[in-house]
Amino acid sequence: MNALVIAGVGVPLVTFLVLAVALWFGLVWTERVVSGLVVGAAALSALVGLALAVVCIVEGPSAVSLGTWFAGFPLRLRADWLSVPMVVLCGLLGCLIGAFSQRYLHRDPGYRRFYLLLALFVAAVQVVVLAGTLDLLVVGWELAGLASALLIAFFHHRPGPVAGGLRAFITYRISDIGLIGAVIAEHHRAGHGVVGLLLLWAVLGKSAQFPLGGWLPRAMEGPTPSSAICYGAISVSLGPYLLLRNGVDGPAVVAVGVVTALYATLVGRAQTDIKSSLAFASMTQIALVLIEVGLGWNVLALVHLITHAVLRSGQILRSPSLLHDHHHLEQSLGAPVPTTGRHFERLVPARLRTWLYRFALERGYVDAFLVDRLVNPLVRTVNRAAAAEDRWTTTVAANRQAVSR
Amino acid sequence: MIGPLVERAAELLPQQGPLQTFVHHNTLHAFEDLPFHDAVVRAGVLLGAEPFPSEQELHGYVEQGRITDADLVAVVVAEVADDGVPVVPGGPTRREFHTSRLRHLLDVPRGPALRWVLAEAGDLGPAWSALVAAAPRVVPTAEPTPRPADRVRAETGVDPDALVHPVLIRLTAAFLDQGVAYWPMPDRDRGLLAAFRALYGRAGGPPDRFLRGLGATLRGQERWDAERTVAWALTELEVPETEWGEAILATLLSLRGWAGMVRQFEVRPDRAPVAAPPARLVDFLAVQLTLDVFALRHVLAEHPGHGPVVEVTARPDVELAYEAFVLAELMAVDPTPDAAAWLALVADCDGLERRRLLHAAYERRHRVGVLDGLAAHQRMSTSDPSSVEFQAVFCIDEREESLRRHLEENTPVAQTFGFAGFFGVAMNYQGVHDVRPRPLCPVVVTPTHDVVERPVAPARGVLRRVRGGWSHHVGVGSRTLARGGLFSLALGAVSLTSLVGRCLFPRQAQRWSHQLDGPHPVTRLDIGYTVAEMAGIVGTVLRTTGILAAPAPIVLLVGHGSSSMNNPHESAHDCGATGGGRGGPNARAFAAMANHPEVRAALGLPDDTWFVGSYHNTCDDSMTYFDEDLVPSRFQADLARAKNSVARACVLAAHERCRRFETAPPDLALDDALAEAETHAVDLGQPRPEYGHATNAVCVVGRRSLTRGLYLDRRAFLVSYDPAADTDDALLTSLLQAVGPVCAGINLEYYFSYVDPARYGCGTKLPHNITGLLGVMDGHASDLRTGLPWQMVEIHEPVRLLLVVEATPARLAAILSANPGLARLVGNGWIQLVAWVPDDDAMFLFQDGTFQPYVPEVAEFPVVSRSVEVYAGERGHLGCAHVLAGVDLPVPVLAAAQDAR
Repeated sequence: MNALVIAGVGVPLVTFLVLAVALWFGLVWTERVVSGLVVGAAALSALVGLALAVVCIVEGPSAVSLGTWFAGFPLRLRADWLSVPMVVLCGLLGCLIGAFSQRYLHRDPGYRRFYLLLALFVAAVQVVVLAGTLDLLVVGWELAGLASALLIAFFHHRPGPVAGGLRAFITYRISDIGLIGAVIAEHHRAGHGVVGLLLLWAVLGKSAQFPLGGWLPRAMEGPTPSSAICYGAISVSLGPYLLLRNGVDGPAVVAVGVVTALYATLVGRAQTDIKSSLAFASMTQIALVLIEVGLGWNVLALVHLITHAVLRSGQILRSPSLLHDHHHLEQSLGAPVPTTGRHFERLVPARLRTWLYRFALERGYVDAFLVDRLVNPLVRTVNRAAAAEDRWTTTVAANRQAVSR
Repeated sequence: MIGPLVERAAELLPQQGPLQTFVHHNTLHAFEDLPFHDAVVRAGVLLGAEPFPSEQELHGYVEQGRITDADLVAVVVAEVADDGVPVVPGGPTRREFHTSRLRHLLDVPRGPALRWVLAEAGDLGPAWSALVAAAPRVVPTAEPTPRPADRVRAETGVDPDALVHPVLIRLTAAFLDQGVAYWPMPDRDRGLLAAFRALYGRAGGPPDRFLRGLGATLRGQERWDAERTVAWALTELEVPETEWGEAILATLLSLRGWAGMVRQFEVRPDRAPVAAPPARLVDFLAVQLTLDVFALRHVLAEHPGHGPVVEVTARPDVELAYEAFVLAELMAVDPTPDAAAWLALVADCDGLERRRLLHAAYERRHRVGVLDGLAAHQRMSTSDPSSVEFQAVFCIDEREESLRRHLEENTPVAQTFGFAGFFGVAMNYQGVHDVRPRPLCPVVVTPTHDVVERPVAPARGVLRRVRGGWSHHVGVGSRTLARGGLFSLALGAVSLTSLVGRCLFPRQAQRWSHQLDGPHPVTRLDIGYTVAEMAGIVGTVLRTTGILAAPAPIVLLVGHGSSSMNNPHESAHDCGATGGGRGGPNARAFAAMANHPEVRAALGLPDDTWFVGSYHNTCDDSMTYFDEDLVPSRFQADLARAKNSVARACVLAAHERCRRFETAPPDLALDDALAEAETHAVDLGQPRPEYGHATNAVCVVGRRSLTRGLYLDRRAFLVSYDPAADTDDALLTSLLQAVGPVCAGINLEYYFSYVDPARYGCGTKLPHNITGLLGVMDGHASDLRTGLPWQMVEIHEPVRLLLVVEATPARLAAILSANPGLARLVGNGWIQLVAWVPDDDAMFLFQDGTFQPYVPEVAEFPVVSRSVEVYAGERGHLGCAHVLAGVDLPVPVLAAAQDAR
């Protein structure tokens, strides 16, 4: 049992380390070796997950203690009804996406980097999922965030992907305030409610919930397979998992879910590119899962999370075939594809319709509010402070020089 | 006033329409009035793009031997004037200097790096001092910026386009959307500008700071037309009226993909995939300029401009001096006696000039290889086989070259021809499952006839429709709120199966999914042509190819197309002659016409000939035959034999093609070739379903007997033309008018997408995102990317098309002088034209306005017995070779050829 739990985390982690060391020392392994290692590791970790499932059913859930990292930081892993299905999902998707990318990224100059990051991502998610303490979970959480931000910025010679990656990175850091806060609050034996609210804060960024979801469509500028695994499936699912793991529910969670679900479904309907459309669809479903979590329907939430991850990553992988599929669909129907959104025209008065459409097209003005009203003033304040400090140090230095003379 | 300026700017926008009907065209079509070398440089400056491959790449070819010394010398002799006197005493002559310069790749440090090098080096001696003293003085000049947004960016360091473009992209994408969004844009049937005003003119608009006051302004302009708005905005932006044209051009070019697509919807609404909203480029411009006005005001208010830093002092050109200094050392020259002359020489051979010359040498090596191959092969080959059992007419497409070669190699009684893949049938075609008719003919032709495919028995197809409806329901529903929840819960297991299948077993998954579609119903074509028209079409093709003189019992017409997954550019692999469509229906219609009793009577076709239409899928190398149930029983056995031969040739062609895929093993078994090709076609994870027209470089117009048995590496368009049957040059004229621009368009589009994949091409496919069912963006809000993706062109050789025509120079010169369009392409060097007179063993290359005799260079010419011996184990480009199989050769010739080898 212990060995299985450790293997679930250890196999992808070791693979990542091996690849990282090899790349660090400039070893150029062939595409086949690099991808084979990662796909194999992910598949093995999925199989370990299946074995764990059997053991869990027979022997019941279990916790493994691996000693302590440093005082007050016990390394504990936990395999139960919640973590084991996620281990299987993450290993399976890692393996499938890895196999898929063997063809998709063939001959790309960043091939090895992609697999390195994919290995890191899978390993980090397995740490998050199997972590028995919030402290250990944080480690995986940060690594997964780092891997996904770097995957968004995969094409780093163009400004767009880098800006997208940076946006995700900053959003993650903002939501980290919540997560780290929760860890500290827990160590200081704060109430469950406080910890829960702080965790919910962490979820806002990670799962792209209102109003911190602006990074999600921007994340679609990475390679399609990484978009599929991170933003269609696993990365955004970590938020609800965090709440399930820590038993957080209640009206605040429901409220976040309801607001985001309405927002995302409204905005998603005006998106004219397939990947943004799917990004907002993901956001909608994750919001629904949050509602389920908030209502305490934990099993439903877990099932919904997993089935959604599989469905959506498949859709994202298929998105470059949209023109082909549209043509095929027209041929199957024997008629033009029916127009959508008619009840919108029927039910909503024209004036409101224009307003709603503009709201959706502008993605709910969230970016404008955040950037113009929060970020820019903050940047200006910081800049002013920096300038003031500059002046002050210059003055002090001048005085010192005068004194020493 | 505004209208003509917009029209002029529109000519420089990308001419690419929606991706469903991709038509290859010269990326720099608007510059064809200029000589090629001037055009690429001029366009490069305007569009910020590369004119030639980089010097590093070209220099790599020199090192690999792809460019030889002979090429460098020949190019320099042709391009560099020389009086034979050393430029500085004891130094090289101009030509010697250029030749030597091209052999050396120097990394001359610039700017701060150079200052550092010089500071470290200390005193470099008298040569250096002399060079610096003689170096020309340069005054740094700022680029002229006709567009206010560029000026503001230069002054403040803030890019106003970062504010404007996202809004403009959202709006334009919503306006043009063909059915991705669940909600269509309201009021879009009134045009982009009206829809923009209706949306953003309302109170309570977007809270972005830079859009403050936009609503009021738009309400005030409610009744203005677009031209007035443009004039207002340009005045607001303080653009002097004399510069409006340039400002408009620069503004539109800043988001040229979307601007170009709006233009395409304006001029070719018939090519909209679903329905065309009333698009006008001037509307788009009005919206863009209005947003520019607000963005510029905002940026200037936030960042009070400090004005551009203008340096006025002239400084010596140290970079040039240093380059001259290094070269002098390298070539062991003392430049002190005439440092100015040495500097001028070095400056003459600048980076652009070196790339131009190296590229000319690169093209020359390819040209020599092909022309020598053609000439040598012609000396060996004999005439057509005596007994012909079946004939097959293929498209001229260079991808069919290998199929034709393998067919003739293994079936000596087969004879193949090349004719533009619409086979003269210009029609509006609607297949039995098609929702709307589409033209299947070259884009320059507007078809006047309809051909409809009708089922023989009333089709049921209920299952098919139900399945289509269900998949539509899931596709749309899964993206909504409530239905999305239900679907993801209910379909989790199904989608897992599909995901596993698609990722791990792509070929089986596609087969399984395809089986659900059921078989294609039995159908007939409803051909709306008169007998006279049909006889005209059939007669032209049969006469041009020479089939009419001696038809075989079975004549196959092979249209082609390509079907692939994970490929927004799928249509770019289809048949260019059908306007980016699939040529199967054209072949089928042609066969039906040629089998028509009255047409036969009119043309005097014998009764012992039958025409069969077919379709070749170039992606998976499968064949489909049409109307086999109509073939009279006396032809059945012949047809079966022909089909067998073609099937065998397909396997061999697939095998040859797979050598280019690095994922296919170099020793791929023949039996696995079709499976490998098919996997590439159906795999969702495969960005290289086929390599399409990549590597295309040559076009041969002439009798097939001249190229039969010649290995051309799938790089040559082959056009059948019999000079003997063309007494008044009418056939050749019409052939060249069609073939020249079409092949040049394909060739040049590949050239430019290869040379600058970021500006002329659409970059790597991996982050592409389909928008509005009409194009691709990078990520969620980029300009619409036009041109070809890198994965399509990565193995291409950027050489201009080498058009070899079996005709005397005099005949070609006459045709050129009578056809200004053709003369422009040839005269300005967009294609290389060669007149070939095989009977005299003479070739003439069109250069500097005249046909100049071509002198063969390469003595060696490989002779093999099977094509596979040429390509086995090879991945790169291969030269010509003589393939013996199927051609009876007199033994002495064979021996001589082997000696030469």
